[in-house]
Amino acid sequence: MRRASVMLVAALLGLLALAGVLPAQQPPIRLGLAAAVSGGSAASGEAIKRGLSIALDEVNARGGLLGGRKLELVVRDDEGNPQKGVTIARELVEREKVAAVFGGLHTTVALAQVPVWHELSTPYVGTWAAGTNITQNGKKPNFVFRVSANDDEVDKFLVRYAAEHLKRGKPGLLLENTAWGQSNETGLTKWFAERGVKAVGVEKFNWNDPDMSPQLLRLKQGGADVVMLVANAPEGAQVVKSKAKVGWEVPIVSHWGISGGRFAELTGELSDGVVFVQTYSFFGKQNARGEAVLKALKDRFGVKGPEDVTAPVGTANAYDALHLVALAIEQAKSADGAKVRDALEDLKAEYAGLIKTYKRPLTPEQHDALTERDYLMVVWKGGKIVPVH
Amino acid sequence: MRRALGWTAVALTAAAVPLVTANTYYLYLAMTVAIFVVVTCGLNVLAGLNGQISLGHAGLYAIGAYTAALGATRLGLGFWTALPLAVAVTAAVGAGLALTGLRLSGPYLAMVTIAFGIIVEGALVEWVALTGGPGGIFDIPRPALGGTPLPLGRYYWIVTVTAALALLLTRNVAASAWGRAFVAVKDSELAAESLGLSPYRVRTAAFTLSAAFAGAGGALFAFLNGYLSPDSFTLQTSILFLLIVLFGGLGTLAGPLVGATALVLLPELIRQFLEYRLMLYGVLLLLSVYFLPRGVVGALARRRDARPAAGDVSSFDAPLAREGAPGGEHARDESVIVALEGVTKAFGGLRAVADVTLRVRAATVHSVIGPNGAGKTTLVNLVAGFDTPDAGRIALAGAPIAGQAPSSIARRGLVRTFQTPQLFEALSVLDNVRVGAVGHRLGSLAIALLGLRRDATAADARARAALAAVGLGEWTTTPAADLPFGHRRRLEIARALAAGARVFVLDEPAAGLAPAEVEALDALLARLRAAGLTIVLIEHHVDLVMAISDRVTVLDEGRVIADGAPAAVQRDPAVVAAYLGTSP
Amino acid sequence: MIIQLLVSGLALGSMYGLVALGYHMTWATSRTLNFSQGHVVMLGAVVAYGVHVAAGWPLAVAVIATLAASAAFGLVVERIAVRPFFTAGSPVWLLSTIALGIIVENVAMVTFGKDARAFPSTLALKPVFLLGAGVYPQELLLPLAGVVLMGGTQLFYHRTFYGRQLKAVAWDREAAGLMGIHVPRAVATAYALSAVLAGVAGVLLAPLLNVSPTMGTLIGLKAFAVAILGGLGSAAGIVVAGFLYGLVEALVAGYVSTGAREIVGFALVIAMLTVRPWGLGGRRPTRRV
Repeated sequence: MRRASVMLVAALLGLLALAGVLPAQQPPIRLGLAAAVSGGSAASGEAIKRGLSIALDEVNARGGLLGGRKLELVVRDDEGNPQKGVTIARELVEREKVAAVFGGLHTTVALAQVPVWHELSTPYVGTWAAGTNITQNGKKPNFVFRVSANDDEVDKFLVRYAAEHLKRGKPGLLLENTAWGQSNETGLTKWFAERGVKAVGVEKFNWNDPDMSPQLLRLKQGGADVVMLVANAPEGAQVVKSKAKVGWEVPIVSHWGISGGRFAELTGELSDGVVFVQTYSFFGKQNARGEAVLKALKDRFGVKGPEDVTAPVGTANAYDALHLVALAIEQAKSADGAKVRDALEDLKAEYAGLIKTYKRPLTPEQHDALTERDYLMVVWKGGKIVPVH
Repeated sequence: MRRALGWTAVALTAAAVPLVTANTYYLYLAMTVAIFVVVTCGLNVLAGLNGQISLGHAGLYAIGAYTAALGATRLGLGFWTALPLAVAVTAAVGAGLALTGLRLSGPYLAMVTIAFGIIVEGALVEWVALTGGPGGIFDIPRPALGGTPLPLGRYYWIVTVTAALALLLTRNVAASAWGRAFVAVKDSELAAESLGLSPYRVRTAAFTLSAAFAGAGGALFAFLNGYLSPDSFTLQTSILFLLIVLFGGLGTLAGPLVGATALVLLPELIRQFLEYRLMLYGVLLLLSVYFLPRGVVGALARRRDARPAAGDVSSFDAPLAREGAPGGEHARDESVIVALEGVTKAFGGLRAVADVTLRVRAATVHSVIGPNGAGKTTLVNLVAGFDTPDAGRIALAGAPIAGQAPSSIARRGLVRTFQTPQLFEALSVLDNVRVGAVGHRLGSLAIALLGLRRDATAADARARAALAAVGLGEWTTTPAADLPFGHRRRLEIARALAAGARVFVLDEPAAGLAPAEVEALDALLARLRAAGLTIVLIEHHVDLVMAISDRVTVLDEGRVIADGAPAAVQRDPAVVAAYLGTSP
Repeated sequence: MIIQLLVSGLALGSMYGLVALGYHMTWATSRTLNFSQGHVVMLGAVVAYGVHVAAGWPLAVAVIATLAASAAFGLVVERIAVRPFFTAGSPVWLLSTIALGIIVENVAMVTFGKDARAFPSTLALKPVFLLGAGVYPQELLLPLAGVVLMGGTQLFYHRTFYGRQLKAVAWDREAAGLMGIHVPRAVATAYALSAVLAGVAGVLLAPLLNVSPTMGTLIGLKAFAVAILGGLGSAAGIVVAGFLYGLVEALVAGYVSTGAREIVGFALVIAMLTVRPWGLGGRRPTRRV
């Protein structure tokens, strides 16, 4: 009896001691990812998740943030569905108590979430969806940031390439029939108009469409001398295959979506010569971070080489986005959403990142960390991506 | 009592959500559940009561949402104007959809609804000028009260009260004459038509009502999210709605609530499984239908056994109440009430009915007999409007009826029964007869929704009297599906009686009856005749025919080979050769 | 342009018809169908990719293995998602087959991966030119293979003992049961055969469409439209409807717009059913009174 009570007291004391120790272990800072990890765009979600985890491990290996608090990633699947997107946005903030959220591929999902970030004062950093009005949403203060392409800027870039480099004046637009395609229709039309050029045709296709020859034939009959393509890898591949089928020799200038899958595998040698925009390429000579990220991809995710990195921009953008958010948290000295947001808008520290060196990349007026100057034009050659020039 | 407790508990829980938590995630989930309840209540009326499976409700939901959103953003309408507008527009579209799918059922109807959903989704994407295209509509203002937009926690009340209202309205409809008509058309379209109901009208009403609910849900959704895009209204969404109804229990009142709660919360509970989430979701769905094939609520509801304690009630003591029913004044007036003149009907090369001329006098029992394949059932179909004669005239009380719809012939007072009794299996015995008693006089759907009964008592009294008259007075609460075989025919007759028939066309009513039951039937027919009603009896059972008939017509190979008093017909050599000789 | 459209329309149309025949088979014998038939198309392509491209089996062996796997899956669908609910009366099989489809898609996503992959075929590498229009040989193969397979199915039904048994069950379940035909086995066979047809379609389409866990959904849906358009009870109607639907799609995409393709296609289905509710090849149902 006595012995039992002694043991009980000892156990209680032990628990107390443990409880005393616990506060020394600081609570982690949680970060959310809301992206499609199932369905047809799952590869993009996976790529973003990889970039975030690699950067997150680096931060944690340095001892975390705010005096030893580790970072933790909470991933949620938006299924490419705006309503799910809104649900998980609220869940991540309200239940999982994340300090900031990274976003995925779908422009419609990102647009649907915009009001939620403002209502709940949580910063959101897009890593893929390029729809112009995601960041230019008219909210003050604006909680939505992006380390990714911005359609408007990309379109300006692509138009300049087509007009100045290729010297083409009769563009045909070939776009996927989604919010993303719509955003680029606006952008491309606008920037071509700046040069007094009007597209000879605007053609669209749906996801999983097997044959694009009707659209191509119409553009061809319209006299197009360059095809401006906005597509993801599977549909982009069908475009290239259909182009070979209709026997039309025309340059394709593409948005970056075709890098979001296995474009080279899907098209074989037909991919040669397709030029497109990237924020980053794992081919060729890498900077120190590039080497490190590639190594991590190989070690942790079984990636064999640059050609095996699916959706490289997702990984690269997410990697830099996480480091920028980490810097903002340090600068804000807090994981509070509003403070992190303020810090993001006025980052003091310079960050030598994967894509570029970021010097005060975000301001109250500029919520896109990457702009036209950071894009690079690349081309498929023998299944590899090489820079143009 | 327990049911009332359950509903109170649900209401209290719903009311408690915003009080115990300010967490907008939980609020948002609860509101999603509530919106899905609104939509699936309507789908439940359509699929559960009326048996029309729709896989296009996302299209209707979308029309409600976009109407409300456009009303709010383009026309500057407030929530309280936009909501009814959305309901009205969606109901109108639903009515149109119902018209295209009227003649369809099963997978064919499912296909039309799928196609509708896809066309709506396509239109949302393509019609950029109106819908904003794939990018959708932004900045839909939250509903405002006194000029200030409601925060999520306040809007919560509007949404949940609407959901409660939806449940209440479906309860009212299910308990009304309209609700019984929905079920009647689902269970037996033929019988419903034979009682004067127009299945087209009933189905269109069910579809329109269901669409109105979907429209309301869509409007609530638009104002909840503040942003709309076509991605929210895909076939997947339609499938989810149907899954909710099936999971909760098709046709059960609480089914939409249980189903929506389960199918909204389930994915949330298994979110952390991420890549394996859908697998788990599929397995759970599969297990649930495996163990609960009638849905959660269906499995919980114990079937009350409402049979009378013992024995058969074969006495026919109750008086035949005929007051107010048409035909009463014709008592013992033996003028011709049904007349066929040279009626002919061929199927392919075969003339099933050839040049039949026949006169049925009022308040008589007129039998039509003949060997198998003599054309008896075809004749019934022609007289009752289930088929149109190729040639000839058919008149009921002097008015031509050939080629008219069965429901309009029934309304003129000619009601048929079927060789295999066509009961509304899901309804109780009393409700079966009430369908007949009310007939096409269903009244206003709006009044049914509000639960206000208009003139229900007269029809009820007629139904109960008819049941008593055929000796089923003590079986009122028994589900028709549980009725013993011999009683099923009586129920059909009671239904016709309550429907105000003055001419009964009975298609082999004695088939499969025990001798004692045949005697009872005999007595019943005699009493119907005594009450001034006319009976056209199609029969194999010669004893019954000869005992009760005033006149007998014999058909063979579609032709009338004899016509006269029973005794005379029985001696007719042609009849003996063709029929009686072979099967005495 | 017209030739390209015709070839492409016939190629896809034949595959719609093939998959739709699968709906017809199970519907005829059991009045049920696999609402996730599109997932079986995907399964065929994914399994073929797994054994042929990833594991390197010779094509012939790989195709046989794929067909066996499809048939096995058809049996699983029948056993797990259809048979238990056969007598339930309500369309619970609809829910259970959808659930099974969700599971299959997720399994494919985990095992096969999330990216679309190429299924190399010498027939889809270089276009050939036909009256001045470029087409991939695979596109010419599809309608041929489709017609041969659909013809084979009909031969099986009409000329073999077992096929006739299935037909008997389709004609009148009760009578067939009384004649000593094992009805549940006939239903299972119908499911296996229907899955094989979908699996074949998956293998045939793989080189043209690329292989991915979501590739089958739309094909399954359009095949359903074709089955309804042709009349669920009519094999001949379905074959005609398949080609018709494929051609209409191609021509609308070619001469109107791609955005209008689905709208016009499905509007056609509605219009058709409004005029002829029993489908192209179906017979006007007689009222059973």
